[in-house]
Amino acid sequence: MTTIRLDGVSRTFGDVRAVDRFSATIEDGKLFTLLGPSGCGKTTLLRMIAGFTELDAGSIWFGDRRIDTLPAHRRNTGMVFQNYAIFPNLTVEDNVAYGLRARKVGPVDIRARVEKALARVRLAGYGSRWPHQLSGGQLQRVAIARVLVIEPAVLLFDEPLSNLDAQLRVQMRVEIRQLQQSLGLTTIYVTHDQEEALAISDRIAILRSGKVEQIGSPEEIYRRPQTAFVAEFLGGTNMLPGVAGSFDGRTTEVAACGTTVSVQGKAAEAGQKLLLSIRPEALRLAENPNGPVLHARLVLREFLGQIQRLHAALPDGTQIRISTLGSPQVVAVGEALAIAYDPAQIAVYPAP
Amino acid sequence: MKGFRYAVVFGALALLALFLLYPLSLVLDASLRVNGTGAFTLANYAQIFASRYYVSSVGNSLLAAAFATVGATLVGTPLAFCLARIDIPGKTVLLTLATLPLVLPSFVAAYALVLLFGHAGVVTTALRAIGIPMGPIYGLPGITFVFLLTLYPYVLLPSIAGFRAIDASIEDAARNLGGSRLHAFRTVLLPVAMPAVLAGALLVFIEALENFGVPVVLAEDRPFLAVDIFKLFAGEADNNPAAAGALSVLLIAGTAIALVVQRHYLSRRRFATNARAAPPLLPLSRGWRALATIFSWGIVALSLLPFMAVLFISFLHFRGPVLTWQLALSNYSTLLEGSFRPLYNSLALATITAVVATLLGAPIGYIVARHRGALSAGLDVIGMVPFAVSGTVLAIGLIIAFNSGVLVLTGGWLILVIAYVVRKLPFCIRASSAIVHQIEPSLEEASINLGVPPLKTFVSLTVPLMAGGLIGGMILVWITVASELSSTIVLYTSRWSTMTVRMYHFLEGGEGAGSASAAAAILILFTAAPLLLIHRRVRRQDDPML
Repeated sequence: MTTIRLDGVSRTFGDVRAVDRFSATIEDGKLFTLLGPSGCGKTTLLRMIAGFTELDAGSIWFGDRRIDTLPAHRRNTGMVFQNYAIFPNLTVEDNVAYGLRARKVGPVDIRARVEKALARVRLAGYGSRWPHQLSGGQLQRVAIARVLVIEPAVLLFDEPLSNLDAQLRVQMRVEIRQLQQSLGLTTIYVTHDQEEALAISDRIAILRSGKVEQIGSPEEIYRRPQTAFVAEFLGGTNMLPGVAGSFDGRTTEVAACGTTVSVQGKAAEAGQKLLLSIRPEALRLAENPNGPVLHARLVLREFLGQIQRLHAALPDGTQIRISTLGSPQVVAVGEALAIAYDPAQIAVYPAP
Repeated sequence: MKGFRYAVVFGALALLALFLLYPLSLVLDASLRVNGTGAFTLANYAQIFASRYYVSSVGNSLLAAAFATVGATLVGTPLAFCLARIDIPGKTVLLTLATLPLVLPSFVAAYALVLLFGHAGVVTTALRAIGIPMGPIYGLPGITFVFLLTLYPYVLLPSIAGFRAIDASIEDAARNLGGSRLHAFRTVLLPVAMPAVLAGALLVFIEALENFGVPVVLAEDRPFLAVDIFKLFAGEADNNPAAAGALSVLLIAGTAIALVVQRHYLSRRRFATNARAAPPLLPLSRGWRALATIFSWGIVALSLLPFMAVLFISFLHFRGPVLTWQLALSNYSTLLEGSFRPLYNSLALATITAVVATLLGAPIGYIVARHRGALSAGLDVIGMVPFAVSGTVLAIGLIIAFNSGVLVLTGGWLILVIAYVVRKLPFCIRASSAIVHQIEPSLEEASINLGVPPLKTFVSLTVPLMAGGLIGGMILVWITVASELSSTIVLYTSRWSTMTVRMYHFLEGGEGAGSASAAAAILILFTAAPLLLIHRRVRRQDDPML
C-alpha cells in the first residue's frame, strides 16, 4: 500500500530549471504518467524518485515515510530502464534473482520466486538463457520480472517501450497495464508518446520545461486541455490566432485567419487577442450547412485507412486539418470546402 | 560512492604530484640555476642557444620527428584505406602484424639497421665486396627511417577506424549527386577521415621527439636531444645537470605543445562516428587489387623485416664483431652465462608494473568516464601529462627528487616501478575509461535500484564487466615495460639491471654484437608472443590514446 507524495520538488542543472516545484499525489495502486516533450524534466523527476538525482528543494514521501533522504539502494523501488539494463554477464535467472540476493533471501525461496516472476511475464523456461540470446521484447520482460520479483513499493518505468517496434509496443503496453492492475502496484511511467500515455494511465501529468501544465485523467486532459500547450501536444489540434469581437449573449465572434469564428460564451473582451483550438475531428464537411461554417480551399488529402485527413487553406492562407471517417465525396484539390463546426467544441486560450 | 570517488581523485592527484609534477619541477628548477643548484640564472638556456652543437641537437630532433610524421602519414593513410576498403587477401593477419611495431622495441629495429647496413653490416660488407659503396645510415636518414617503420601504426589504426566509420550512405550521396569515385574520395572521404589521420600523426611526432632508444643506437656522435640530455646528466665526461635540465624543459615544451594541439584539434573535430552501414569494399579490377595487396603486404613486411633479421642473426655465430654464417646458440650462451638476473629483473619489474598501473588506472579511468566535473576533468588532463614527458626526463627528475632527503628511493627497484607506472598511467586510464564507456550507466543504476549499495555494485558488477578489457591493457603494459629503455638506463643499478640495459651495454661496447642480438631476440619474443596471443582483443581496443 503506497501512496506517493511529491511536495515542491525542484532541481536545477547549471542554469536550467529541470524540475520546478513539482507537487502531486499518486494514489495507491494507480498508474501515473509523466508526459512531455524531451527535456521537459520527466526523466529527471523519475530519477529523483529512484534516488539517482538529488533534489535541490522539496520532499518525496511513500505513505508517511520520507524517502528522498534515503540512498537509492534502500528506497525499494523497481525501475525498468529504457534500454532494459539487463546484466550481460548473468543469465536470465540470475538477472531476476539479483534483487533477491541483495535482500539476502534464501536460495530455495529465490528459486520459487524467480520461477513465478518469469511465468508471470510469460518467460517460463527461459531461466538458463543468456541475455544476448533474447529479443528486445523478451529482454523487456526480463527487466519487468526482475523488478516484480522484489515486490517493490513502487514501480518506475523510464520510456520502457521506446526501443521496440510499433506492433510490439502496443502489445507490451497492454501487458504492462494488466500486470500493474492485477498486482495493484503504484506506478510512475515516463513517456513522450501521447497515445501510449492516454492508453495506459489512470492519471497524467503534462510537463513543459520542468513545470506542470496540467494533471488529470486521460479524458480530462484530452477533452479539456487547460493550456494551449496541452491542447497542441495531445493529438495535434488546429491552433488559430484571432481577435475577439462582439458577444451576443450566446456566442462571441472572433476574427481569425481572414474569416469569422463563433465561440460559445464570452471568450474575451472585444479587441483582445486570443488563440482558438479546434480539434481536427471536431470539424465536418458540410453539404447543407445550417450552423456556423468556415470556408476554405482543399490543399491536400491524406488517406489513412480508417480516416482521411484533409488539409485546407483558410482565406488568409493558414492551413487547418480536418479528420473524417470513411471517404465521403471527394472534392478536387483547389476547390472550395464548407466546414461545419460546433462553437461549443472550440477551446479558447489567451494569446501568448 | 562519493567517498570512494574523492579517495580515488585525491589519491591519484597526490601520487601524480609526488612522482610526476614534483620531479619535473625540480628539473625545471635545475635548469634555472647556476650548475643546477646555485643562484637563479637564465644562462643555461642562453648557453644552449649560443652553442651550435645544442642548437643542431634541437634541430635534428625536430627534423627527425617532422620527417617521420610526414612519412608515417604518407604511408599510413593509403595503407589504412586499402585495409578499410579493399579486399586484400589475409587482411586479418595483416592487421595483427601491422600493430606489432607499436609494441616491439624500436631500438631493436634501429639495431637491426646497424647489423644490416652499419659500418660492418651484412649488406654493407656484401655490397662493398662487389664494389658498390654504401652510404651512411647513421644520423638523420637512419633514425627517420626507423621512426617511420615503427611509428606508422599510430596513423594507420585511427585512420582505418576513420575510413570505416564513414557511413556507406555518405559516399552514395556524393556519387548520386554526380561525383566520380575519385571525386567522392577527395571531397568527402578524405576530409571526413582527416581528423583521425592528423590525430595519429601528432602522436607520431610526440613519440619520435622523445624517443631515446633509436637515436642512441643510430646517432653515433651526431647531436640528438634525447641522447644529449642523457649524456649531460649521466655522462662521466661532460656532466652538466643544469644544461640537461634546460634541454629537458625544451623537449617537454615540444611534446607538450604537440599534445595540446592534438587534444585541441580532436576536441573540435568529430566528423566520423558510428557508421550504421559500414562502407562496402571497392569493386577493383584484378590489377589494381594486386597492386594494393603488394603495397599493403610490402609495407607491413618491411616494417617487420628488421625484427626478423635480428631473430635470424641471433642464431648465427659471431667472431668478435664479425658475423659468420654458422648457425649456433653461442650468442645466447654468452648472454646468459653471466647471469639470468637481468632477465628475471625485466620479467619481475614488468609484472609488478602491469599490476600496479592497472589497479591505479582502472578506478581513475572509471571516474573520468562516469563523472563530469572539474575534478575529473582535471584528473583527465593531469593523467595525460606523463605522455608528453620522455622517460629519460622523468627518470632524471625522479633521481633529483629522491636521491636524498626524507624519501630516498634511488638505487632500488621501487624507483624503476614508479617511473614505469607513471609513464604507463595515461594508457591505463584511457584503456579503462574506454571500457567503462561501453558499459551502460543504467546497468549500475539497475543494480543499485535492486538494492545493492553503490560500492558493492562497483566491485561485484562493474569490475567483472571491465575485467576482460583490463587484462588486455595489462598485457600491453607488461610488453612495453619489458622492453623499456629510456628511463631504465637512467635509473638502473647493477643489482637491478634489465635485458634492455644489457643490450645497450653490448652495443655501446661495440664487440658484443652477438650477445646484443640474442638480447634483442629475447625482447622480441617477450613482446610479440603475448601480443599475438591476445591479438583479437588488442585490435578491438585499437589505440586508447586516441
